[in-house]
Amino acid sequence: MPRQINIQEKIRQLRAFYRAEGRAPSFGEMARLFGYASKYAVYGPVRRLVELGYLRHTSQGKVAFTSKITASIPALGSIQAGFPSPAEEELLDTISLDEFLVRRPEATYLLTVSGDSMQDAGIQPGDMVLVEKGENPKHNDIVIAQVDGEWTLKYYGKDREGIYLDPANARYSRIRPARTLQIGGIVRAVIRKYA
Amino acid sequence: MNTPPTPLMLHSFPHAILHVDGDAFFTSVEQALNPDLRGKPCVTGKERGIIACASYEAKSRGVKRGVSLWDARKLCPDLVVLPSDYETYSLMSKRMFEIMRRFTPEVEEYSIDEGFADITGMRSYFRKSYPDIARDLQQTIHRELDLTVSIGLSLTKSLAKIASDYRKPHGLTAVPGNRIHEFLPRIPTADVWGLGRNRVALLAKFGVNTAWDYINRPEPWIRKLLHKPGAEMWQELRGNMVMPLDKELQRPEASISKSKTFSAPSDDPDFMYAKLVRNLESACIKLRRHHLRAKEIHVSLRTKDYTEAAAGARLSRTFQNAHDVIPVIRELYAQLYRLGTTYRATGVVLVGLSDDRQYQYSLFEDPLKIEKIRSLGKTTDLLQKRFGKHTIYLGTGLYIAKAPQHERDTPVWRKLHRLPGETVRKHIRIPLLNMTV
Repeated sequence: MPRQINIQEKIRQLRAFYRAEGRAPSFGEMARLFGYASKYAVYGPVRRLVELGYLRHTSQGKVAFTSKITASIPALGSIQAGFPSPAEEELLDTISLDEFLVRRPEATYLLTVSGDSMQDAGIQPGDMVLVEKGENPKHNDIVIAQVDGEWTLKYYGKDREGIYLDPANARYSRIRPARTLQIGGIVRAVIRKYA
Repeated sequence: MNTPPTPLMLHSFPHAILHVDGDAFFTSVEQALNPDLRGKPCVTGKERGIIACASYEAKSRGVKRGVSLWDARKLCPDLVVLPSDYETYSLMSKRMFEIMRRFTPEVEEYSIDEGFADITGMRSYFRKSYPDIARDLQQTIHRELDLTVSIGLSLTKSLAKIASDYRKPHGLTAVPGNRIHEFLPRIPTADVWGLGRNRVALLAKFGVNTAWDYINRPEPWIRKLLHKPGAEMWQELRGNMVMPLDKELQRPEASISKSKTFSAPSDDPDFMYAKLVRNLESACIKLRRHHLRAKEIHVSLRTKDYTEAAAGARLSRTFQNAHDVIPVIRELYAQLYRLGTTYRATGVVLVGLSDDRQYQYSLFEDPLKIEKIRSLGKTTDLLQKRFGKHTIYLGTGLYIAKAPQHERDTPVWRKLHRLPGETVRKHIRIPLLNMTV
């Protein structure tokens, strides 16, 4: 009789591996993960998991996780073997808060705001902003910019006279760079955490 | 050799390998995240008293890597000295490699600030020449990371590495196959990757002074003088790829390692043993924090002139407390230590990690004793949590106090600016800009 493979257990182990390592395991690592003595034994469950759509083969002959494994699902309790529960099914297309806030992970930085010049735009001193570097700002983007040597957080705008920076606070006024303007990045999100 | 340079081949790029090298990487990261530092001479390495990296502004004032801070300040009184923030450097390094992977999946992470990329065949995909792809990569890194890199483009890793070094900073040097004969006569053997001081001196005795001289000697002659690595280099410099890219991500197999360079090199055996045990204690703290046990221990000593001696042992049962390994580590240390040698660092690596929560006593163990040591570990961790790391330590640690203390207690800026919810151990995986807006 062929050995029964507990596929739900394998899925749980792979999810745990993904949570810990953030990547797919090699065949050798899978053998250790599943408690097999030989790498060859892994091929069975891998074939099954590919059929079920949890794994896919990459062009380099390795396996990669599909979103069925990587979707950020917390432990959902015990799952009946065989079919995924409806609750799990619904969560397959969720993204983490990270993915929601960060569009381009390599170009994104955090900055703690200290001034109040953007308070009417909802950015208070002490808030954190997610700043994206490397793109040209569009009209009304909030940017961090260096104007004549000073760094500041403002709305970006352009008219016939050239580029200007607008505050979101009645106590400050529009700035037009006299000598130099350098855009440090575009604000993509604001984070305020209440302790 | 006075061979008139003639082309080695007529092809331009049968292979296209990039070497991407971060310019003054550590200080450039500091300057990218803190605009106040731009244009100023800065160095990292405050915590060791020796310069780990010098910015181009500092280099132009004669400040170099490996110089003591004291000497550097004499050369450049307005030098900005920063403690090394390896966590942030690693974050930015990861980003650099991720950007490289946008251009090709074949990327080798050679070290924290340099890597290779094989872009062979990507011309038709990007509808661009290889040099244009390289320029694109360079500009993307500059735009998104505010870091400059120097890139060498050629047929092999060795040629690309020499090329990236040819124009720095922010340089791009392409050496196609039909130009190798124009490039190599300008390269002294000392600039060839893998030829150390001794080999360069040896080659000079035979009149081999440039990389061009090198490849014009017959291969068997080189093989006889410098053995297999020399012969491989000979092939690589001629544009024949023999060193493939190592594309595995540089993620070590699960292991915990702790090593510390002494503030001053030492030949005191007690002091060094104390340092070694201290590393072991640090590693065990990390083991316990991650609920792990280790099976194997490796110990290494690095001498003043950077040679390394290492030894390891596999224990009969797993451990997570320094107490359990002390007899082993003492024996390993005795094996490695040479009287009269001056050392600069000790290190401990723990491998064979397993989950502590699934630990089973074996038949011949004394569960009572094990539980005692376990609760000792718990208490130690509790005390350290309240009063700081290494508040309580093994008696050997007393020898550490004998070492002279330096001015190095300035923590990195990032450590002083923890975000709400960050702990000492866990930080957000996004670099923090250091500017006031």
